[in-house]
Amino acid sequence: MTNVMQVLLIEDNEGDVEMTQRALRDSQPTCALSVANDGVEGLEFLRKQGRFGDAKTPQLILLDLNMPRMDGKKFLESVKSDAELRLTPVVMLTSSESPSDVNDCYWRHASGYVVKPFDVAEFSSRLKQVVRFWGAVSRLPA
Amino acid sequence: MINALRSETRDAILSKPVGAPEVRPNILIVDDRKENLLATEKVLRPLYANIFKATSGNEALSLLLRHQFALVLLDVQMPEMDGFETAMLMQEHDSMKGVPIIFVTAISKEEQYASRAADIGAVDYIFKPINSDILKSKVKVYLDLYVQRQHILELNAVLQQSNEELERFAYICSHDMQEPVRMMNSYASLLQEHCVDAMDEKGGRYINFILSNARRMQKMIQDILNFSRVGRQEVQIEQVDCNEIAREVLAEFDGVVAEKKAVVTCGVLPTLQTSPTLMRVLFQNLIGNALKFHGGDKVPEVTVSAEREEAGWRFSVRDNGIGIDEKFHDRIFTIFQRLHRKENFPGTGIGLSTCRKFIRLCGGEIGFESSPGNGSEFFFTLPESKR
Repeated sequence: MTNVMQVLLIEDNEGDVEMTQRALRDSQPTCALSVANDGVEGLEFLRKQGRFGDAKTPQLILLDLNMPRMDGKKFLESVKSDAELRLTPVVMLTSSESPSDVNDCYWRHASGYVVKPFDVAEFSSRLKQVVRFWGAVSRLPA
Repeated sequence: MINALRSETRDAILSKPVGAPEVRPNILIVDDRKENLLATEKVLRPLYANIFKATSGNEALSLLLRHQFALVLLDVQMPEMDGFETAMLMQEHDSMKGVPIIFVTAISKEEQYASRAADIGAVDYIFKPINSDILKSKVKVYLDLYVQRQHILELNAVLQQSNEELERFAYICSHDMQEPVRMMNSYASLLQEHCVDAMDEKGGRYINFILSNARRMQKMIQDILNFSRVGRQEVQIEQVDCNEIAREVLAEFDGVVAEKKAVVTCGVLPTLQTSPTLMRVLFQNLIGNALKFHGGDKVPEVTVSAEREEAGWRFSVRDNGIGIDEKFHDRIFTIFQRLHRKENFPGTGIGLSTCRKFIRLCGGEIGFESSPGNGSEFFFTLPESKR
């Protein structure tokens, strides 16, 4: 087992991708961040299909809500109903504070719901906390 | 954008009657004798109305089922079903219940008939032989009332629809705008961080403009979202200790209180059945405003209290701030209306309108007493919960 934590970010906004990469540059544990641009790509990545043939299985998925083709909720449903994939923790990363969105995601077995902070420094520290918790604190069943 | 939409909607409502087709009201005359029908019809013909005729109570009811009438002229003495019976059957039907009835009779002149008629929807009682001028002007009054009522109903429907559209628009708009504003803010601050050496003093100032305006926009979006959420979500009623909510809200203002050396006094507040979100929104806005609107060197004093009233509770937040001219009463509760330049007192002009929207939804009311220079007292009432 390596010390590098595999994290998959599913996000369509380039700006957010770069912000996340920046935030996790010096995270503990160290992250290897892969990016899929929507739910369809996310599933291909997890199933190592198409251009994701040599993808590494992620230990954590960071998931945006609003995306083209397949949005966050649809993606969650697919992952959590797939026996192979369902144990991977999925943490929502979105700007929506809508109570119905929060509810919908937890009902679909999201492991966490993080509202992207407005402030850059807060955004970075929040993401580091999430990664630290899932990479170093929580223990998943083998 | 939303301001523009509001005034467009308002113009559309005000101008509606001009282009709208005139309402031509229907009158129903009921009499078992054809010659009476013809005579009455002749009197009413100059009026702007469609005249329907029926020779029996049954025929009248079947017309009433099919058409909407502004007024019924109903003969009292008719074979089979008389005028009173017809009127009583009308009262059982929701669609006919509100239609005004003028009873027309030759013999039942006693007082008791007239009062009986009033019980079953009669608005007037006239005796034969009919004075045509009086009949005409009486009928005209009811026609005018009907047309005005239809007009108001129409306006209300338009107003309600545009309000709903506006709120949906505000919600979707503000929800979707959060993302790009956050992006702009984030990258402007990254730019500030990264290019600090490459930028001259002007460049630094420009970036600060971007940042401060992005933050202001974010605050506005948040406030619009909160405003439009009131009413979209069901109000949750529970046992609420208002002291606890006030304590939590006051803790949020710790920094401001310390900075302004303000003195905040909170009386004993009740525990009651209400929405905790409502109480929080009201305290946040009213206490926030009481701390904000101060000028000069005066130490801000804010007093929160509540007293029992006949039908519920009256909460009050009093301050010794700059005060408000009461002529602005309507303006300060209207969304986006601000009385001061944002440089003097920052804000989005949404807080008090959110308060009023929320409190009205809960059956209460909000208001204030104040005069410039003498502080303000904002109060809101909450009715006793019926549980």
